[in-house]
Amino acid sequence: MNSLTLAIRQEAARLLEEKIVDVVIGFEAGTLPLKAQPAFITRKEEAEKLVFNGFCQNNLAAYLTRFPKEKRLGIICRGCESRAVRALVIEHQHDRDKLYLIGVPCTGIIDWRKIERRVGENTLQAREEGDEVIVTTRDGEHRFRRADVLHDSCARCLHPNPVGADIVLGDPLPEGDPERAWAPVLEFEALPPEERYAYFVQETGRCIRCYACREACPMCYCTECFVDHTAPRWTESMITPGGTQAWHIVRAFHQAGRCVSCGACERACPMDIKMTYLVDKLSYDMMQQYGFEVGASDEKQPPFAAFTLDDRNRFVR
Amino acid sequence: MSDKWTPRIVVFQCQYCLYSEADQKWMDTQLPPHIKLIQVPCTGRISPLFVLNAIQGGTDGILISGCQPEKCHYKEGNLGARRQLDAFRRFLTYLGLEEGRIRFAWIDVSERGRIQQELAGLEKTIQAMGPITRLATRAIPVGEKR
Ligand code: SF4
Ligand code: SF4
Ligand code: SF4
Repeated sequence: MNSLTLAIRQEAARLLEEKIVDVVIGFEAGTLPLKAQPAFITRKEEAEKLVFNGFCQNNLAAYLTRFPKEKRLGIICRGCESRAVRALVIEHQHDRDKLYLIGVPCTGIIDWRKIERRVGENTLQAREEGDEVIVTTRDGEHRFRRADVLHDSCARCLHPNPVGADIVLGDPLPEGDPERAWAPVLEFEALPPEERYAYFVQETGRCIRCYACREACPMCYCTECFVDHTAPRWTESMITPGGTQAWHIVRAFHQAGRCVSCGACERACPMDIKMTYLVDKLSYDMMQQYGFEVGASDEKQPPFAAFTLDDRNRFVR
Repeated sequence: MSDKWTPRIVVFQCQYCLYSEADQKWMDTQLPPHIKLIQVPCTGRISPLFVLNAIQGGTDGILISGCQPEKCHYKEGNLGARRQLDAFRRFLTYLGLEEGRIRFAWIDVSERGRIQQELAGLEKTIQAMGPITRLATRAIPVGEKR
């Protein structure tokens, strides 16, 4: 067991014992290797179940909106999760004083697909050792450098350190490299328009409309999603190429100025459909146009909510 | 493509932006049949979903006409709309749509006749581009009966 897991268990047990929170949201070991699963701990004895490692795929901030506002929540927060919590608090989804954020500087999530593709086999066991991931299959042990098997979103993460946490466990990490973070958006943008469209058509064409991407996203918390809204139907949302394209366009667009670039949507997708190139473009534009970055401040409203007359000379045509 | 192709155009127009009665009358009664007018109470009512729906339905060009920033009847309805619609156009461009297919006109009180100019400008751009192909998943191919 790593020292971080130990520290998290102790802190969770203390929070429950001292009745600072009603529930601690963290991770426990899953039934499959490479995949930990979310855990909701309400009794201090259960804190022993908690684990923390690179196999924790979900964005835990997605569970914030699933609890009533009176509940006091303790949430294990990596960089992206802490930024999502900030954005959700700004959107009045929970009171900050009913939250206790256990911050953890994050070294990135391991992409189980990258591992399975490389070993070409079912994984029987997996563990981390420093900068390495060690995977056991029927034919023995495979070792990977962590950096080679990180999820794409984590490899280009800008802010691995939690913001606004009540306590931070573990040592702070260096910030990410903006050039690396935005490279995929700029590269995609540099392609000819027909290629960009072809890629979009190909990716959306495989979508089975399971909405796992929506369920995994901390910022998709609408009681009724536009895609389930049928009367009136403002845009096509049927299971047709057009309906699915609209789903991808609008889902992404609803994240403009809100997406925390956690990549949870992409990790949740059973079809391995790429979609962070969509939301990242919107985040890039929000930064370029309005100097806005989600989670950078705990009071600044996102650009679509914070319009002003200073926009006077923008968008002339 | 035959030279007889006429683009399909949709205008989203805020009901207050044409202060000139003559212009509004022209919009209400004289619009050529290939231009469809969708009047809204305020630019703020134009959801990006409407724009997407028009594009997917095969609209070759869209004009969004609203008031100048400080002249909004509802004070700031157009400010929010401008940010959203601008970002939405950038986003569709990123996905391969030609930028010129969506045009904005923020019209001032004094600008009599501007709406006609904007429509002519849009039509010229669209004529040069030809019919919409990308994202128009519900479009009826050119030449078939509409
Ligand atoms: S859209 Fe995807 S990357 Fe953005 S916050 Fe939601 S889950 Fe995370
Ligand atoms: S896709 Fe849009 S409407 Fe649907 S849950 Fe997400 S934010 Fe809400
Ligand atoms: S998770 Fe993947 S398959 Fe499911 S709706 Fe989202 S993009 Fe489509």
